[in-house]
Amino acid sequence: MKFSYNWIRELVPGLDVTPQELARLITMKTAESEGVEEACPWLSAVCEARIVSVEPIEGSRNVKAVVETARYGMRTVVCGAPNCRPGILTAYVPAGAILQGREIRKAVIAGVESDGMLASGAELGLNREHEGILELVAGELERCRPDGVIEIDNKSITHRPDLWGHHGMAREVAAITGKRLLDPVNLEKVPADDAAVKVSIEDFELCPRYSALVFANVTVKPSPLWLQHRLEVIGLNPINNIVDVTNYVMAELAQPMHAFDADKLRGNTIFVRPAKAGEQVYALNGETYEVGPSNLVIADASGPVALAGVIGGMESAISDTTTRIVLESANFNAASIRKTSAALKLRTDASMRFEKSQDPGNTVRALARAVELLELVSPGIALVGGLADSGRELAAPPPIELPLAWLYRKLGRELETEEVIRILKSLEFGVSEVRPGVLSVTVPSWRATKDISIKDDLVEEVGRIIGYDSITPAPPMVPSVVPPRNEEREFHHQVREFMTTQGFTEVYNYSFVSEEMAAEFGFDVDAHLRIANPIASDQTLLRTSLLPGIRKNLLENSKHFESFRLFEIGREIHKREGGLPEEVPHLVAALYSRNDGVGNLFELKRVAEGLMPGVEVRAVEARPFEHPARVAGLCWQGVELGRLFEFHPSMVETGRAAVLDIDLATLFANRPQQKRYRPLRRFPTSAFDLSVIADARKPAGDIQKRMAQLAGEFLVSVEFLMKYAGPPLPEGYKSVSFRLTVGAPDRTLSSDDVAQIRARVIEGLRSSGYELRV
Amino acid sequence: MLESTLSELEASALARINAATSPDQLEPVRIEVLGRKGALAQISKDMGKLAPEERARVGKLLNAAKQTLEQALDRRKAEFDAMALQARLESEWVDLTEPAPAPRPGSLHPVTQIQREIEELFVSLGFTVLDGPEVETEWHNFDALNIPPTHPARDMQDTFWLTDGHLLRTHTSPVQVRGMEKLGPPLRMIAPGRVFRNEEVDASHEHTFYQLEGMMIDREVSVAHLIYFMKTLLSAIFRREVTVRLRPGYFPFVEPGFELDIQCLICGGTGCPVCKYGGWVELLPCGLVHPNVLRMSGIDPEEWNGFAFGLGLTRLVMMRYGIDDIRLLQSGDLRFLTQF
Repeated sequence: MKFSYNWIRELVPGLDVTPQELARLITMKTAESEGVEEACPWLSAVCEARIVSVEPIEGSRNVKAVVETARYGMRTVVCGAPNCRPGILTAYVPAGAILQGREIRKAVIAGVESDGMLASGAELGLNREHEGILELVAGELERCRPDGVIEIDNKSITHRPDLWGHHGMAREVAAITGKRLLDPVNLEKVPADDAAVKVSIEDFELCPRYSALVFANVTVKPSPLWLQHRLEVIGLNPINNIVDVTNYVMAELAQPMHAFDADKLRGNTIFVRPAKAGEQVYALNGETYEVGPSNLVIADASGPVALAGVIGGMESAISDTTTRIVLESANFNAASIRKTSAALKLRTDASMRFEKSQDPGNTVRALARAVELLELVSPGIALVGGLADSGRELAAPPPIELPLAWLYRKLGRELETEEVIRILKSLEFGVSEVRPGVLSVTVPSWRATKDISIKDDLVEEVGRIIGYDSITPAPPMVPSVVPPRNEEREFHHQVREFMTTQGFTEVYNYSFVSEEMAAEFGFDVDAHLRIANPIASDQTLLRTSLLPGIRKNLLENSKHFESFRLFEIGREIHKREGGLPEEVPHLVAALYSRNDGVGNLFELKRVAEGLMPGVEVRAVEARPFEHPARVAGLCWQGVELGRLFEFHPSMVETGRAAVLDIDLATLFANRPQQKRYRPLRRFPTSAFDLSVIADARKPAGDIQKRMAQLAGEFLVSVEFLMKYAGPPLPEGYKSVSFRLTVGAPDRTLSSDDVAQIRARVIEGLRSSGYELRV
Repeated sequence: MLESTLSELEASALARINAATSPDQLEPVRIEVLGRKGALAQISKDMGKLAPEERARVGKLLNAAKQTLEQALDRRKAEFDAMALQARLESEWVDLTEPAPAPRPGSLHPVTQIQREIEELFVSLGFTVLDGPEVETEWHNFDALNIPPTHPARDMQDTFWLTDGHLLRTHTSPVQVRGMEKLGPPLRMIAPGRVFRNEEVDASHEHTFYQLEGMMIDREVSVAHLIYFMKTLLSAIFRREVTVRLRPGYFPFVEPGFELDIQCLICGGTGCPVCKYGGWVELLPCGLVHPNVLRMSGIDPEEWNGFAFGLGLTRLVMMRYGIDDIRLLQSGDLRFLTQF
């Protein structure tokens, strides 16, 4: 929202701070200013000039004009405008002035020295007319002065319907600077006669109030220059005097208005009602909108003529031939306007204001202001009848009790009662001290629609005006307690730490996957949660696995590195019937290299053992993206919680990528609890080695397990020593060697005992079909 | 006679010992001269034929010679040992400019690093660290934070909606609600985490980024406490005294609500490109918790009150490391990530 400094100063006479300082004060006490821009600084050098004579220049379409100015005397300029003729009053820009960033220089044009220039309205930034030089009414250029435009961040005033107009901001400025606020509204301008138009509101919830006036004898023409300039400065497009007045009042009082051509309306009643299914509105912007029962329309006897609070209709728009108008000043339900505006993707200056919950008390004020302005811009205009005003009774908001001790406790600072009262009154709250130390505060109607209803809201009003920098920081008096630990989070941090010591670098991937990514992995697309409003095709689904992201990391980093290690801890998101989805934290680590890849897998197995001492590897069926001969399930504390695999060569073509994928929630739930000390072994142990010949694909883990079973109660450990394949072993066979350590807790095993165990193991293995190399 | 044999023997043995070029050449000398059947043993045997007084004198000479030769042997052996050690050490030269073979330690994501740092800071101040779901209910993300469906504040946060009606949390604030529901007052909590906004991505905008929500609920919590707390905290984060200021900011879940600015750390407030010549940098939104929010989480606002704030972790990371493209953080690019 753009605010004109000159406009605010008009409403706060005697305002004596610069636009920059004003912007800073507003930022500190009201709403965030995004900066100040100078508007038309050149106007200080521009002046009114009468064209004394015009001579053609041979061989040029330009003319040589002599102008007379009060400020610069007589000047000769070369002008190319078609309307440059003797006698008219126009705008003269002297040499040396900088106009729209361009310096005006004395120059010889077509052999004639031009000292300055005559300018159009567009060149001066006053309006959008660029067909010819300005033709002025005496004195009107003087009213267009350089201005400062203070841009306020819209987000910071979403809760302040009143700040969508200059008068509301001026009220703040007056309160901040201690100056007096002028009210531009003269309510006597609205006559009390019978209305010339009837208003029928179907639902007061959707339209709490609709006020209107009818005017005749209207002349539609461009607005006076000062009015056009005002609108131009704050970014509104001047259109014609009638429309400009509605926009001016909106920019001043925050009340959107609309003018209908009264002769284009059928019947004498304005209906405010929800649209019927299938109805259409042909809007001022040239678009036709299909509307229905959830959209509020303004209608005449034959159908909708405007989208209530959003945009007017083309058919009843003001045109050059308009002579009678109906001026609407209404109040609409914020939520309804917001819904319509969102549904039709149509945000207008009006809808933006209505969706902030405008004050129903403001409609007639706006009409009064408009009457005054219309009389100015359309001389001879005449009101027909009096005010049409329909609406529900406006209940005054109940006063708020404000205990001062509570206020000071909230602020953390004491104040004088008088100061609190003065601040609230400067913002036009009604204040009385009902009991010692308790104020009763009445909220002005423009702050009562949504913004202020409880005493906490008043803390802000007082706090911001005294300035938060007047509050001395103080340490809170709270008990010193050790906070509850978030063990799962700490565990994740430990895992991260461990992974980095193992050489893995942490990556973050998006929570989104595309349908293509999911399909490439053979995931069921329908098992994913789906984004209803994605912007990009790669963010349509929520990930049910971290693997697609990791694979992308592998492919991209493989362009820069021969080998690397990375990991991510992130959440898989799985659908759950009737409730929020299940978010399962996973660790995925990947190791990429351009060798045979075997080392990668064992390296990751080592990492898995680091996280889960004693983790067991189980045979599993490969998924489509896994190397079918290089995949295993991981099982710990009797629970399946992850997989170790190599990506299928079709998934990672440039090299080998081993992947470890662990469900951290399950790992955390099954982590070893408190450890207990075991007494050290008091009697020596004995060890013997065995080598088993087995099928090359017989898992060593199976042989080891069998040995452990056979060794029985005295087994201390079975340790893998080595694997051998090659002569003299037959093709397709290997020899695997283990060291078995045995011992008893209460004695030293005799050599007979050990020999017996050894014999039992050998015998057992043989009967299981293994051959032993002895 | 024996005497001269002895001295000859001693001289020649000494000569052999000194001339030896390897430890293997010493052993024969020891055996031949000092061994059980060696030359000295022979002389000792022959001494029996001498007169007793002569025998004692020669015996002494014999012992002296034996001692001299033993010492000579030991010395020579030690010399060889020293030389051998010297040679071994010399041969065992290692070129330590060669790279170590095992992988270097990896690194934590910069967001993780800053997040942990701040978590530790808060834990030291008595705050508990909470996690919340990334997929949220509309209630927790909006309604319970005093943002009803038609509230224009919903426009401030472009939301990713799911087809099942849930949404991706647009801020970490819903964890406030979950924290209050779960733990009740008094309460000191933070909730760091991933949040989502439905925005086009460019160098300074991301649809996925990180925030840290903080909340303190107690019986007496004032604006003065909030300022004190923020100043303490930010001084710890930036590792130097920071100057903060509060100005009004609108967030439906706090009342009053503030934007907290810090005096520009680059220029000290005199104005520079980082603070856009304003001297202040907008850092975080905060405020006193709105009584409606307390009430909706089952806490009596007449009895309890508190403050809440939201810290943009991603922004902090970018400030700390001077990162100029937000997209790098989720790029998975190791050329970037290994720098931290």
